[in-house]
Amino acid sequence: MDLRWWRVVLIAAVGSALGLSWNLLSGRGFALDRNVLIQEGDQIVEASEAKRRLDAGALFLDARPDAFYGMSHIPGALSLPEDDFDRAYARLEPTLRKNLDIVVYCSGFGCEASHIVARKLKERGIPAVVLHDGLPAWQEHGYPLREGPQP
Amino acid sequence: MRLLRHPAIHWAIAVVVGGLFVYASLDKIAKPADFARIVYHYRILGPLPSNWLAVTLPWVELLAGVLMISGVWRREASLVIAMLLVVFMGAVGWALHMGVDIENCGCFSVSGEGRSAGWKLLAGDAAMLVGALALLIARPMEPEAAPAAARTATGRV
Repeated sequence: MDLRWWRVVLIAAVGSALGLSWNLLSGRGFALDRNVLIQEGDQIVEASEAKRRLDAGALFLDARPDAFYGMSHIPGALSLPEDDFDRAYARLEPTLRKNLDIVVYCSGFGCEASHIVARKLKERGIPAVVLHDGLPAWQEHGYPLREGPQP
Repeated sequence: MRLLRHPAIHWAIAVVVGGLFVYASLDKIAKPADFARIVYHYRILGPLPSNWLAVTLPWVELLAGVLMISGVWRREASLVIAMLLVVFMGAVGWALHMGVDIENCGCFSVSGEGRSAGWKLLAGDAAMLVGALALLIARPMEPEAAPAAARTATGRV
């Protein structure tokens, strides 16, 4: 029997329609117009606002794995990797508690580490905001970067 | 090639590949937002296209898998599954090329524990692609011709 292309299209169309209906009616769905990495209570700042805060003395935290920090980071930022949070937090806690303005970033869209770190800090009573679209947004604005390990 | 056209072989491939697609769709359908989060991790699409993909893709997987197993529109379902596998392999290959670390590929489970996106996953997808293409290209023989073909294929006379 010959391949019927309309059937191929129909499978894709019916499957998609079922998916959209399920998302709308099942109670398990989510709003399609929002970024699922951003949860209620997360505070987000754009790169320009983050730069203003950096100039005003805000503390920046790099939530990426430590090796990435060494390759490139925002000047003055400290490394607080999400994948090694407890150890890094124990080391940095006194510094973090002294700062009232903390900005967390990671490697941009699709990277959840900055959100997770900001939530963990919030759970410990330390407010922190997340840099929207992370380091790529910072670079796109032409803001400065540094290389090398954490002092 | 004649062996591939045997109805029993066709059915076995359809059950394995179609069954894997049905199984793969279930967790994603149950937790669409968690699957969307995994789609984001690939960093290929923006938030809105990722959301739409996360909501619709599992149901296309489910429908194509069920059709493949049931034998209804099997060739068309095989083509849909083959195209999906090419897309999956492209996404994993892109992630590998770009050095994006995907801890959970989102293939069968959307919870924290899952298969990482790497070369093993590509090999598994390639094996399924071969199966889907076999169903698409090698048309099954009529049932009465099948026993003779099976004997020929196994060297028996």
